[in-house]
Amino acid sequence: MDTFKGEHLLPGHLGQFFTILSFGSALFAAISYYFATTNPLDTSWKRLGRIGFFINTASVIGIVVSLFYIIFSHLFEYYYAWEHSSRALPVHFIISSFWDGQEGSFLLWNFWQAVIGNILIWKAKSWEKPVMAVVALSQAILATMLIGVDILGQRIGSSPFILLREAINLKESAPIFASNPALYHNYLSYIKDGNGMNPLLQNYWMVIHPPTLFLGFASMVVPFAYAIAGLWQKRYTEWVKPAISYSLFAMMVLGTGIIMGAFWAYESLSFGGFWAWDPVENASIIPWLILVGAVHVMIVYKNTGHSYFTATILVLTSFVLVLYASFLTRSGVLGDTSVHAFTDAGMFWHLVADVVIFLVLAIVMLAIRWKELPRTKKDEETYSREFWMFVGAIFLCLSCFHLVVVSSIPVWNLMFGTKVAPPSDPVKHYNIVQASFAVVVTLLTGVTQFMKYKKTDITKFFITSAVYLILAGVITGVIIYVTGVYKLQFVFILIMVGAIYSILANAKVFIEALKGKVKLAGSAVAHIGFGLIMVGALISAGTSIVISENTTGEQFSEDFVKTKNNPKENIILYKNTPVQMGKYMVSYVGDSIAPPNHYFKVNYKAVDANGKVTEEFMLKPNAQANMKMGLISSPDTKHYLFSDLYTHVNMSNAITIGEGTGEAGHDEADDDKKYEAPLVYEVSPGDTIRFREGYMILESIAKKDHISDITLTDKDIAIGAKLHVVSHDKAYEAEPVYMIRSNNAFDFARKVEDAGLKLRFTKVIPQKNKIEVTVYQQPESAKKWIVMRAIKFPDINFLWSGTIIMVIGILLSIFRRNKELKSE
Amino acid sequence: MKKSSIFGLIVIAIAIAVIISVYSTSSTYGSFKDAKSADTELHIVGHLNKQKQLFYDATKDANYFSFYMKDNKGEECKVVFTGSKPQDFERSEQIVLTGQMRGDEFHASKILMKCPSKYTQDKVEITEAKAKQASI
Repeated sequence: MDTFKGEHLLPGHLGQFFTILSFGSALFAAISYYFATTNPLDTSWKRLGRIGFFINTASVIGIVVSLFYIIFSHLFEYYYAWEHSSRALPVHFIISSFWDGQEGSFLLWNFWQAVIGNILIWKAKSWEKPVMAVVALSQAILATMLIGVDILGQRIGSSPFILLREAINLKESAPIFASNPALYHNYLSYIKDGNGMNPLLQNYWMVIHPPTLFLGFASMVVPFAYAIAGLWQKRYTEWVKPAISYSLFAMMVLGTGIIMGAFWAYESLSFGGFWAWDPVENASIIPWLILVGAVHVMIVYKNTGHSYFTATILVLTSFVLVLYASFLTRSGVLGDTSVHAFTDAGMFWHLVADVVIFLVLAIVMLAIRWKELPRTKKDEETYSREFWMFVGAIFLCLSCFHLVVVSSIPVWNLMFGTKVAPPSDPVKHYNIVQASFAVVVTLLTGVTQFMKYKKTDITKFFITSAVYLILAGVITGVIIYVTGVYKLQFVFILIMVGAIYSILANAKVFIEALKGKVKLAGSAVAHIGFGLIMVGALISAGTSIVISENTTGEQFSEDFVKTKNNPKENIILYKNTPVQMGKYMVSYVGDSIAPPNHYFKVNYKAVDANGKVTEEFMLKPNAQANMKMGLISSPDTKHYLFSDLYTHVNMSNAITIGEGTGEAGHDEADDDKKYEAPLVYEVSPGDTIRFREGYMILESIAKKDHISDITLTDKDIAIGAKLHVVSHDKAYEAEPVYMIRSNNAFDFARKVEDAGLKLRFTKVIPQKNKIEVTVYQQPESAKKWIVMRAIKFPDINFLWSGTIIMVIGILLSIFRRNKELKSE
Repeated sequence: MKKSSIFGLIVIAIAIAVIISVYSTSSTYGSFKDAKSADTELHIVGHLNKQKQLFYDATKDANYFSFYMKDNKGEECKVVFTGSKPQDFERSEQIVLTGQMRGDEFHASKILMKCPSKYTQDKVEITEAKAKQASI
């Protein structure tokens, strides 16, 4: 075998050892817990199961530490470190490059599931054995995603510890290695740096969003495991109570993770919004919707004994959908329907198997116990809370069903050999269909607050709910009039009614709770938060306006104007040339460069009728001119309490690829080409020279003692012409220099970049007592410009604050359910 | 009939309605030839003709971008996109357009492109290796 100089193989071997150990120990734990469950009298099985799971936890930590060590020490002989990290990355991004790739994100999931398993061992008591059998099984299957071993010619999983030279054919990409074995032996000394992280991901949300999201995914195994354990142990009625707290936790964390993603997209990715209905986004919300439905039905079951069957099915489905979502995003099946799915890592069937195993497990358990499942003979009362909570949960499932059907179009094509394309205007399609479900769901979160479990006083119910509905209608009327939502489709107005109704009804419950039944506050608060999310999403997405509409650009064809589906959203801004956008005068005033970021300074000025500036601020959208990806830009946003102003630069000639990485060396002749033909002026002090965008005054001519880094001797003569340049109400100073050294004349030009000028002091004319100044002006097209897009999002703060309120509400509910568990 | 069965029927009806609505709004993949006869938007998969000119001049119109694309059947057509040029367009390997024909031009309302492997290209940079070799 070849040996290679400079490789650090130990951390990789250790990591690989731990991945195998983590799989083995998880499988061992699962089997031990299985026998512990089937032989309840033999306690040694349980002990073995625990030992197995502790070893698994230790080995997962071992994998994590090995991988972190590799990334932190910049060991680029490892493909993962080379691909996802680089020396220039700051520490917090080095940490996040850990979960930049498929393998790392599986590892993150694995890690959280290990943590959750330990919490279960500590807390689950009589449930530990069956529940941990399922969790350990899930842990073992997740571990296979990382082992990366060839079995029968088929690679199982993808290891993060694969070496660069194993992953990439170095001899092919660098032919020099093929011809020269000595060089190849020493290949590592030529791998100076890693690929680095995609600039789009270099954001603080990359540090916090994936861990949150994966904690949410990982925690969804717990309710699933409880449901299976309940069926297995025939403890049909008992499993629901402890599972509620865990489900609430998963719902809270996953919900937070999803909204974090939305906030990230809104703040720094160039989607121009917080939600784009991309299949990858949908994949995260699909299991969440079912889980929310499941939690509600579980509560129904706990309080009334109804809907056992639905609760079980929903809990089981939610976890299978987590796995399905992971299949959708990781298998490469989404192909050309999504912008940000992972590409296929050769794990298609492996991921399918993962879904199938748990789906079959769920179906088999249900089928075996089918006849014994507790069923209620009597229907729910029509005017009972449980019935309408159940209806609401089913509508959440329908909403989820729709998302699954549309996001999986590539899967249907693959299965049935069809060639159906996603809707051509997916956002509109999703918005309208999902809005219809949202109307029902929001109305129900309000109505059910006026009902009681089992039996409700009908007259009182109709009076209160009608009063609140009228109130909600009035408030909605005011809101839609003020915000302009009334211009939207009718279904969106209905959501507004539903959301306001839900907020009002739950506010009533909340106020009552403060008076006495405080334990009810959790759900009320969560529902208020949800209502606010709907209000914020609706107003900001529905009434956002592009204020950078192009009114100046020439039209290329008449058809352009006729097609309404593509508003002209981009506008070109020349440097220092203000353009009116909405109520603002907007101008691009300059750049500030802090490698690798290039910030474009965009000045916004609001002027009232009297010409007085009422408001002025600067936004700095930035761009990275990345060597590998070209221009990567992120927006900047001005936040007001009731609206946000979003500015995004698409393109600019002020930025060059590879900027900041090396000096652009060019000679004078080349430089002159960037300007229009020079104009020559003969002037004496006090004279004015006019140019297209301003004027300059020759203030004085003075002898110079030194010129920056050139040392002057007594024989040299150097004279500077002090010029005061005024362009677009801004003043600049420039002093081109004329020099004679040993009978040769030189001159040193000075540039005024902002004004697009280059000035030369080209001749002294003693006879006339004048000097000659040559003025180079940049042509209009060479002037710096940016192409930008500005969007106003009103009332988006309702969305963010609603999320926080919802999380607080769910947290209160968790405390309440835990207290109930303890008091029994 | 029991209330739950009525509700069950309603749910099934809505589910069917969802499938129909998805099916009716779903688009189709086609070629430029199909686009000429179709009057609705459709998706066309193809690749950029890198020999022909890409036109985007922000100083003239920041919302006009045109290029030539060959569809999977080999037919070529001029494509016009209302908007700025997508980043890194030249490097795209495959393009999926959504839009319809207007005269001889295909007017795209959406462009989705696949780059070889957008960021993590599996190619080691060898510039370093070459520079070094000179000094050996």
